[in-house]
Amino acid sequence: MLQRIIIPPPTCGLDMRVNYNYPESTVVRAGDRLFLSGISAIHPGTGERLHGTLAAEAHQCFQNLSMILGRAQSSLERVVSVHAMIYDRVEYDVLNRVYRQYMPEGPPARTVWSVRLPYAFKVQLDVTAIV
Amino acid sequence: MSLTREVIQPKNPALNASKNLKLPHSPGIRAGDFIYLSGMVSIDPVTGLPSPGSVEHETRTILENMSHMLESAGSSLSRAVKVNVCLADIVLFDTMNGVYREFFPVNPPARTTCGVQLSMGLKVEIEVIALHGEETA
Repeated sequence: MLQRIIIPPPTCGLDMRVNYNYPESTVVRAGDRLFLSGISAIHPGTGERLHGTLAAEAHQCFQNLSMILGRAQSSLERVVSVHAMIYDRVEYDVLNRVYRQYMPEGPPARTVWSVRLPYAFKVQLDVTAIV
Repeated sequence: MSLTREVIQPKNPALNASKNLKLPHSPGIRAGDFIYLSGMVSIDPVTGLPSPGSVEHETRTILENMSHMLESAGSSLSRAVKVNVCLADIVLFDTMNGVYREFFPVNPPARTTCGVQLSMGLKVEIEVIALHGEETA
Protein backbone atom coordinates (compact mmCIF):
# COMPACT_ATOMS: atom_id res chain seq x y z
CA MET A 1 0.00 0.00 0.00
CA LEU A 2 1.24 3.44 -0.95
CA GLN A 3 2.45 5.62 1.92
CA ARG A 4 1.35 9.22 2.26
CA ILE A 5 4.32 11.38 3.20
CA ILE A 6 4.13 15.04 4.26
CA ILE A 7 7.16 16.97 3.01
CA PRO A 8 7.85 20.19 4.94
CA PRO A 9 8.58 23.43 3.08
CA PRO A 10 12.26 24.39 2.58
CA THR A 11 11.93 27.66 4.53
CA CYS A 12 9.62 28.77 7.34
CA GLY A 13 8.41 31.66 5.17
CA LEU A 14 6.93 29.19 2.70
CA ASP A 15 4.92 27.40 5.40
CA MET A 16 1.36 28.56 4.72
CA ARG A 17 0.13 26.65 7.77
CA VAL A 18 2.28 28.74 10.08
CA ASN A 19 2.17 32.12 8.36
CA TYR A 20 -1.39 32.14 7.02
CA ASN A 21 -3.03 29.45 9.18
CA TYR A 22 -4.04 27.54 6.03
CA PRO A 23 -5.13 23.97 6.89
CA GLU A 24 -2.96 22.49 4.12
CA SER A 25 0.42 20.79 3.76
CA THR A 26 2.91 22.30 1.31
CA VAL A 27 3.68 18.97 -0.37
CA VAL A 28 2.21 15.49 -0.03
CA ARG A 29 4.19 12.68 -1.60
CA ALA A 30 2.52 9.44 -2.69
CA GLY A 31 4.89 7.02 -4.38
CA ASP A 32 6.81 8.93 -7.03
CA ARG A 33 4.20 11.67 -7.24
CA LEU A 34 4.19 15.04 -5.50
CA PHE A 35 0.98 16.96 -4.87
CA LEU A 36 1.57 20.63 -4.06
CA SER A 37 -0.70 23.18 -2.45
CA GLY A 38 -1.33 26.32 -4.46
CA ILE A 39 1.77 28.50 -4.64
CA SER A 40 1.50 32.26 -4.26
CA ALA A 41 3.86 35.22 -4.30
CA ILE A 42 5.13 35.30 -0.73
CA HIS A 43 8.60 36.07 0.54
CA PRO A 44 10.33 32.72 1.23
CA GLY A 45 12.11 34.11 4.28
CA THR A 46 9.39 36.07 6.02
CA GLY A 47 6.19 34.73 4.48
CA GLU A 48 5.20 38.30 3.68
CA ARG A 49 2.82 38.77 0.78
CA LEU A 50 4.46 40.37 -2.25
CA HIS A 51 2.53 43.27 -3.74
CA GLY A 52 3.26 43.92 -7.39
CA THR A 53 2.40 43.22 -10.98
CA LEU A 54 1.33 39.80 -12.21
CA ALA A 55 4.79 39.38 -13.76
CA ALA A 56 6.46 40.10 -10.41
CA GLU A 57 4.14 37.70 -8.61
CA ALA A 58 4.73 35.00 -11.24
CA HIS A 59 8.53 35.29 -10.89
CA GLN A 60 8.20 34.89 -7.11
CA CYS A 61 5.85 31.91 -7.55
CA PHE A 62 8.35 30.10 -9.77
CA GLN A 63 11.23 30.81 -7.39
CA ASN A 64 9.17 29.47 -4.49
CA LEU A 65 8.06 26.49 -6.58
CA SER A 66 11.66 25.68 -7.47
CA MET A 67 12.70 25.72 -3.80
CA ILE A 68 9.71 23.63 -2.69
CA LEU A 69 10.38 21.03 -5.39
CA GLY A 70 14.08 20.96 -4.53
CA ARG A 71 13.23 20.12 -0.92
CA ALA A 72 11.09 17.24 -2.23
CA GLN A 73 13.85 15.74 -4.43
CA SER A 74 12.30 17.14 -7.58
CA SER A 75 12.76 20.20 -9.81
CA LEU A 76 10.99 22.42 -12.36
CA GLU A 77 12.02 19.91 -15.05
CA ARG A 78 10.03 17.21 -13.23
CA VAL A 79 6.71 19.06 -13.18
CA VAL A 80 3.94 17.03 -14.83
CA SER A 81 0.90 19.27 -14.75
CA VAL A 82 0.05 22.87 -13.83
CA HIS A 83 -3.19 24.71 -13.25
CA ALA A 84 -2.07 28.31 -13.59
CA MET A 85 -4.70 30.55 -12.02
CA ILE A 86 -4.71 34.24 -12.87
CA TYR A 87 -7.04 37.01 -11.71
CA ASP A 88 -7.86 38.27 -15.19
CA ARG A 89 -7.69 36.71 -18.63
CA VAL A 90 -6.09 39.89 -20.05
CA GLU A 91 -2.87 38.91 -18.22
CA TYR A 92 -2.57 35.64 -20.16
CA ASP A 93 0.33 36.84 -22.34
CA VAL A 94 2.08 38.39 -19.36
CA LEU A 95 1.92 35.04 -17.56
CA ASN A 96 3.26 33.23 -20.62
CA ARG A 97 6.28 35.54 -20.93
CA VAL A 98 7.37 34.72 -17.38
CA TYR A 99 6.30 31.09 -17.68
CA ARG A 100 8.57 30.44 -20.69
CA GLN A 101 11.63 31.58 -18.75
CA TYR A 102 11.13 28.85 -16.14
CA MET A 103 9.72 26.12 -18.41
CA PRO A 104 11.88 26.44 -21.53
CA GLU A 105 12.05 22.82 -22.75
CA GLY A 106 9.20 20.31 -22.88
CA PRO A 107 6.97 22.29 -20.53
CA PRO A 108 4.39 20.44 -18.42
CA ALA A 109 0.74 19.97 -19.33
CA ARG A 110 -1.07 23.13 -18.36
CA THR A 111 -4.48 24.73 -18.03
CA VAL A 112 -4.92 28.43 -17.31
CA TRP A 113 -7.98 29.52 -15.33
CA SER A 114 -9.18 33.03 -14.79
CA VAL A 115 -10.53 33.00 -11.22
CA ARG A 116 -10.71 34.94 -7.96
CA LEU A 117 -7.80 34.12 -5.66
CA PRO A 118 -7.47 34.29 -1.86
CA TYR A 119 -6.21 37.60 -0.50
CA ALA A 120 -6.34 39.10 -4.02
CA PHE A 121 -3.23 37.33 -5.24
CA LYS A 122 -2.86 37.84 -8.99
CA VAL A 123 -1.49 34.41 -9.78
CA GLN A 124 -1.44 30.96 -8.17
CA LEU A 125 0.28 27.79 -9.40
CA ASP A 126 -1.33 24.43 -8.68
CA VAL A 127 1.33 21.85 -9.46
CA THR A 128 1.75 18.08 -9.70
CA ALA A 129 5.29 16.75 -10.14
CA ILE A 130 7.30 13.57 -9.87
CA VAL A 131 10.43 12.97 -7.81
CA MET B 1 -0.42 -5.54 -17.44
CA SER B 2 -2.38 -2.31 -17.53
CA LEU B 3 -3.95 -0.67 -14.50
CA THR B 4 -7.62 -1.43 -13.83
CA ARG B 5 -10.05 1.49 -14.00
CA GLU B 6 -12.82 0.99 -11.48
CA VAL B 7 -15.91 3.17 -11.04
CA ILE B 8 -16.59 4.06 -7.40
CA GLN B 9 -20.16 4.14 -6.04
CA PRO B 10 -21.19 5.41 -2.60
CA LYS B 11 -22.80 2.83 -0.29
CA ASN B 12 -25.57 5.37 0.36
CA PRO B 13 -27.37 5.62 -3.02
CA ALA B 14 -28.73 9.09 -2.09
CA LEU B 15 -25.15 10.37 -2.39
CA ASN B 16 -24.78 9.15 -5.97
CA ALA B 17 -25.28 12.65 -7.35
CA SER B 18 -23.94 11.62 -10.75
CA LYS B 19 -26.80 9.15 -11.17
CA ASN B 20 -29.53 11.00 -9.26
CA LEU B 21 -28.99 14.28 -11.09
CA LYS B 22 -28.33 12.44 -14.40
CA LEU B 23 -24.90 14.00 -14.89
CA PRO B 24 -22.30 12.52 -17.26
CA HIS B 25 -19.68 11.73 -14.64
CA SER B 26 -18.98 8.97 -12.15
CA PRO B 27 -18.84 9.68 -8.38
CA GLY B 28 -15.24 8.52 -8.48
CA ILE B 29 -12.68 6.47 -10.34
CA ARG B 30 -10.02 4.24 -8.85
CA ALA B 31 -6.82 3.67 -10.82
CA GLY B 32 -4.35 1.53 -8.90
CA ASP B 33 -3.47 3.20 -5.61
CA PHE B 34 -5.20 6.46 -6.56
CA ILE B 35 -8.84 7.44 -6.13
CA TYR B 36 -10.18 10.50 -7.97
CA LEU B 37 -13.57 11.83 -6.85
CA SER B 38 -15.74 14.14 -8.92
CA GLY B 39 -16.30 17.62 -7.54
CA MET B 40 -18.75 17.34 -4.64
CA VAL B 41 -21.38 19.91 -3.73
CA SER B 42 -23.66 19.97 -0.69
CA ILE B 43 -26.11 17.06 -1.10
CA ASP B 44 -28.60 15.99 1.59
CA PRO B 45 -27.61 12.38 2.42
CA VAL B 46 -31.28 11.46 3.06
CA THR B 47 -33.10 13.05 0.12
CA GLY B 48 -30.22 13.16 -2.37
CA LEU B 49 -31.19 16.74 -3.26
CA PRO B 50 -28.84 19.74 -3.32
CA SER B 51 -28.70 21.32 0.13
CA PRO B 52 -27.66 24.96 -0.25
CA GLY B 53 -27.05 26.97 2.88
CA SER B 54 -24.33 28.83 4.71
CA VAL B 55 -20.75 28.17 3.66
CA GLU B 56 -20.27 26.38 7.02
CA HIS B 57 -23.27 24.12 6.32
CA GLU B 58 -22.18 23.34 2.76
CA THR B 59 -18.54 22.67 3.69
CA ARG B 60 -19.55 20.36 6.54
CA THR B 61 -22.09 18.46 4.43
CA ILE B 62 -19.61 18.00 1.60
CA LEU B 63 -16.80 16.74 3.84
CA GLU B 64 -19.12 14.35 5.71
CA ASN B 65 -20.32 13.00 2.37
CA MET B 66 -16.74 12.86 1.07
CA SER B 67 -15.77 10.77 4.08
CA HIS B 68 -18.58 8.33 3.22
CA MET B 69 -17.60 8.30 -0.44
CA LEU B 70 -13.94 7.54 0.32
CA GLU B 71 -14.86 4.84 2.84
CA SER B 72 -17.11 3.26 0.21
CA ALA B 73 -14.00 3.08 -1.98
CA GLY B 74 -11.75 1.56 0.71
CA SER B 75 -10.10 4.85 1.62
CA SER B 76 -10.72 7.69 4.08
CA LEU B 77 -10.24 11.44 4.55
CA SER B 78 -6.93 10.75 6.28
CA ARG B 79 -5.69 9.25 2.98
CA ALA B 80 -6.45 12.38 0.94
CA VAL B 81 -3.37 13.73 -0.83
CA LYS B 82 -4.78 16.67 -2.81
CA VAL B 83 -7.91 18.76 -2.45
CA ASN B 84 -9.24 21.48 -4.75
CA VAL B 85 -11.78 23.85 -3.25
CA CYS B 86 -13.97 26.05 -5.44
CA LEU B 87 -15.88 28.87 -3.75
CA ALA B 88 -18.66 30.97 -5.28
CA ASP B 89 -17.04 33.98 -3.63
CA ILE B 90 -13.43 34.01 -2.50
CA VAL B 91 -14.31 36.15 0.56
CA LEU B 92 -15.78 32.91 1.98
CA PHE B 93 -12.25 31.50 2.22
CA ASP B 94 -11.72 32.02 5.96
CA THR B 95 -15.19 30.78 6.87
CA MET B 96 -14.68 27.64 4.77
CA ASN B 97 -11.31 27.07 6.47
CA GLY B 98 -12.93 27.18 9.91
CA VAL B 99 -15.01 24.07 9.13
CA TYR B 100 -12.43 22.47 6.82
CA ARG B 101 -9.73 22.28 9.49
CA GLU B 102 -12.01 20.24 11.79
CA PHE B 103 -11.91 17.41 9.22
CA PHE B 104 -8.13 17.51 8.70
CA PRO B 105 -6.68 18.16 12.19
CA VAL B 106 -3.22 16.69 11.49
CA ASN B 107 -1.10 16.41 8.35
CA PRO B 108 -3.75 17.88 6.04
CA PRO B 109 -3.62 17.14 2.31
CA ALA B 110 -2.13 19.60 -0.17
CA ARG B 111 -4.83 22.00 -1.29
CA THR B 112 -5.62 24.77 -3.77
CA THR B 113 -8.55 27.15 -3.45
CA CYS B 114 -10.05 29.54 -5.98
CA GLY B 115 -13.23 31.51 -6.57
CA VAL B 116 -15.44 30.53 -9.52
CA GLN B 117 -19.11 30.57 -10.51
CA LEU B 118 -20.94 27.47 -9.26
CA SER B 119 -24.22 25.97 -10.44
CA MET B 120 -27.50 25.56 -8.54
CA GLY B 121 -26.86 28.55 -6.27
CA LEU B 122 -24.31 26.58 -4.26
CA LYS B 123 -21.35 28.21 -2.53
CA VAL B 124 -18.80 25.41 -2.22
CA GLU B 125 -17.51 22.55 -4.39
CA ILE B 126 -14.66 20.25 -3.32
CA GLU B 127 -12.78 17.60 -5.28
CA VAL B 128 -10.16 15.22 -3.95
CA ILE B 129 -7.46 12.74 -4.90
CA ALA B 130 -6.88 10.09 -2.22
CA LEU B 131 -4.90 6.91 -1.76
CA HIS B 132 -6.55 3.53 -1.46
CA GLY B 133 -6.19 1.64 1.82
CA GLU B 134 -5.99 2.62 5.47
CA GLU B 135 -3.61 5.09 7.03
CA THR B 136 -0.77 3.42 8.94
CA ALA B 137 1.40 4.96 11.65
